[in-house]
Amino acid sequence: MARGAPSQAAIAGGYAWAVTVAPTVWEHGASIVAVGAALVGLVALLASAAGDRLWGGRGRFVALWVFVLASGLAWLSSPAALRPMRIDAPRGVVGMAGWALFALASAAPALGDRQEPGRVIEDAPLEARNRFARGDAAYPLAGAAVALALQLVGWRVASPERALLVRLVALAAGLAIVGASAEIALARHAPRATRAWRARVRSAGGALLLLAGLALAGVLFASRG
Amino acid sequence: MHWSDALAIALAVGAGAAFLFGERALAAADDMRAIYWLAVGVVSLQAAVQIAKPGARA
Repeated sequence: MARGAPSQAAIAGGYAWAVTVAPTVWEHGASIVAVGAALVGLVALLASAAGDRLWGGRGRFVALWVFVLASGLAWLSSPAALRPMRIDAPRGVVGMAGWALFALASAAPALGDRQEPGRVIEDAPLEARNRFARGDAAYPLAGAAVALALQLVGWRVASPERALLVRLVALAAGLAIVGASAEIALARHAPRATRAWRARVRSAGGALLLLAGLALAGVLFASRG
Repeated sequence: MHWSDALAIALAVGAGAAFLFGERALAAADDMRAIYWLAVGVVSLQAAVQIAKPGARA
């Protein structure tokens, strides 16, 4: 698949298709016209990304319009699936956002071709400030495992608002864990003479003191039952 | 392995466990316990990163 502007529109369009068109035709009893139109739309979307190099911008333009019209035909062929009672609010909102992203990515892609290639100065790639050593992959992998474990908790919450909050907290905590594990892995290779271990513990003294206070509070609350 | 690395790893592992406890409490609608464990997780993670960074300042 081509990289750049065609891919941006295809990714946004694929998301919009998956959220709004695919559930319509998956439902039991969807007409063959709806299913066919949905599949034609998906193929046209893939063709718009892959065929940009073959047919140029005009071919991509046609393929994107085929995608939009085929999606519209799929909806029109399954009017029962579009009744307000069949579409929940979150799906409607993310579907609207998906189509808006698709429109934006199609009309004004963030990544375009170089406007004036003659003025671009090619240079050597930038040197990374830090690199992972061979055994360091275990750190972010362990962080990713914890982040994954966080995603396994709280899927049977009855209240939608609380379920959303649990997922949000799990995502934020997972990102924090992965980021911290990568920082710890990179810090192992920094010059040791920069700071003595006493200075390190002193710099973390506030956090360690707060942690000790929280531990004490936890013990006190636990002892009270 | 330097001992400060081991301490940082232990704190990060503790932070992960605290986040798990916090998330379970949040799912069970035990908000006070959830806030407590999530706070423990955040502070542990902060301490782990500060100890691991050789050039960090408090």
